[in-house]
Amino acid sequence: MLLRETITQAIYSLAINKLRSWLTIMGVAVGVFSIIAVMTALDAIDKSVESGLTSLGANTFQIQKNPATTFGSGHSRNFYANRKDITYQQALMFRKGMTGQARTIGFIISSMANQAKFANLTTNPDVTITGGDENFSASSGYTVASGRNLSEGDIRSARNTVVLGSEVAATLFPSGENPQNKLIKINGEVYTIAGVLNKKGAAFGQSQDNFVLIPITRYLSHINEKSSLSITIEALSRKDYPLAIDRAIGTMRLARGLTVKDPNDFEIRTNESLIDSFRDIQQAIGTGAFIISFMALLTAGVGIMNIMLVSVTERTREIGIRKSIGAPRGIILLQFLLESLFLSLAGGLIGITIGILIGNVVALQFNLPPIFPWLWVTVSLFVCSGIGMIFGLFPAWKAANLNPVEALRPK
Amino acid sequence: MQSLCKFYEMGDQIVRALDSINLVFRLNDYTAIMGPSGSGKSTLMNIIGCLDTPTSGIYELNGQNVAEVDDDELARIRNKEIGFVFQTFNLLPRLNCLRNVELPLIYAGVEPEEREQRAAEALVKVGLGDRITHKPSELSGGQIQRVAIARALINKPSIILADEPTGNLDTATSHDIMDIFGALSDAGNTIILITHEEDIATYTRRVIRLRDGKIESDTMQ
Repeated sequence: MLLRETITQAIYSLAINKLRSWLTIMGVAVGVFSIIAVMTALDAIDKSVESGLTSLGANTFQIQKNPATTFGSGHSRNFYANRKDITYQQALMFRKGMTGQARTIGFIISSMANQAKFANLTTNPDVTITGGDENFSASSGYTVASGRNLSEGDIRSARNTVVLGSEVAATLFPSGENPQNKLIKINGEVYTIAGVLNKKGAAFGQSQDNFVLIPITRYLSHINEKSSLSITIEALSRKDYPLAIDRAIGTMRLARGLTVKDPNDFEIRTNESLIDSFRDIQQAIGTGAFIISFMALLTAGVGIMNIMLVSVTERTREIGIRKSIGAPRGIILLQFLLESLFLSLAGGLIGITIGILIGNVVALQFNLPPIFPWLWVTVSLFVCSGIGMIFGLFPAWKAANLNPVEALRPK
Repeated sequence: MQSLCKFYEMGDQIVRALDSINLVFRLNDYTAIMGPSGSGKSTLMNIIGCLDTPTSGIYELNGQNVAEVDDDELARIRNKEIGFVFQTFNLLPRLNCLRNVELPLIYAGVEPEEREQRAAEALVKVGLGDRITHKPSELSGGQIQRVAIARALINKPSIILADEPTGNLDTATSHDIMDIFGALSDAGNTIILITHEEDIATYTRRVIRLRDGKIESDTMQ
């Protein structure tokens, strides 16, 4: 009964100083918002990671120079940067060594941010040029929609043939005419279109169809000769997968000319390792967001304490009156504690609401389903309550222990 | 109260605000405590009103030695046994009359319906039955003081303690307020007034004069 009255009084007192209350609330809201928004976005992205990453294809792994992500000191980054590129010759040796031990072995090399032109139509300058071989489309999960794939002959002779990703085809041939044998310009060079690939869709918000496929030999001779290849290997079967990885490592060491003492100077990327490295990024962002939010909340807590101290000073007379008509210390304490609790909880709720909205807007950009991060919402509410109580305790204690004679003395 | 003392330390000097006061207030007494500034009358009122405790001595209220209880028990006694009327009114400016008057009942744990009913009755009793939803800022000084008296009465206290209740009012209004106190006394309430105005003291039946923390005279009239 008394509790309900005290709650009413607390809310009433906050309502009187609207501007001040809102400013204090916003302080808390910012802290909560940042953690909720980041966590919502990360959770949403996480949900799509497994499905997204398995787009590599089942039983498939890659060999590349560098790991998918590198974290840590400059030292470790230099360590990877000093590795020698995987050359076409090494890749060919590798394929020869793996003969009969893998279903397909494809080579890829790519560069981003290119532009393709047909007649008066131009793509955005964000097209990826992928240098591949005849096995690329199959081992990367593409099928040919029309025309033909790159042929062995295209690769051998480094011909200026190109296979279009569905998005590039749609941009350059919007009326649906058959692009086969048409000539297009890519970065100023003329290519003959051999075929068009089927749509694969997006992963992590990135289109996987906004690219053109040219013979890897052409890529190395005309676009960039100093690039490191990535080799995609499809094992014979699921059962054979671990064995294929072992053999691939051995064969690659041979192709790279490593002695027994040398460590591997290349990385094996599996779906699992990609997910792991994504989790690393996620964890780093999460930790960063958590620390920043914690600091922000601490600052907000000091803000609450400050405003509550001002409030206690301003309302000394009110406290004196309440005490003179019989308010016990506990009730005065409770009233001020509830005020700071409400401030921080209101901030928390606003932060959570805006955070979830913004987080899901981000998730939406990545074409991900909406998420409600229960765990973080619960954690935030608890943390907010804690902050309200801890930082409100001293002002409330001060109010409760005011001497009524002093408090009532006219100023 | 017996040999009641209240000392304050001011720097290295000890101020004897009250020095060995012996007083008895009986049920339905109507008393004025008078004295110049610094005579100790405010200190005495604070102790009688359980806002403060004496440095030494005994203060018994309804047989309980109030000098020895803790803060929360003092708050309970103030709530149940004392009704304050202040010179500066001391209403909460943001609450309307009804809410101000029912405040002591909230701390006494009375249910809302009963609270409102009793608060409204108390306001009728002081002649403000038509002003219950007004805020103090919408009332005259005399009306505000009547709200304060209603608040003091609401919990049927043992003592109504009024500290210069007419100090901020004009003469006509002062006499209106004193008429209310007179009626309350006639109805059986125990009233202690603190004042320095002689004509206000003439409304009471007993006058205690303080000087330098001691009782100078204690006369019935």
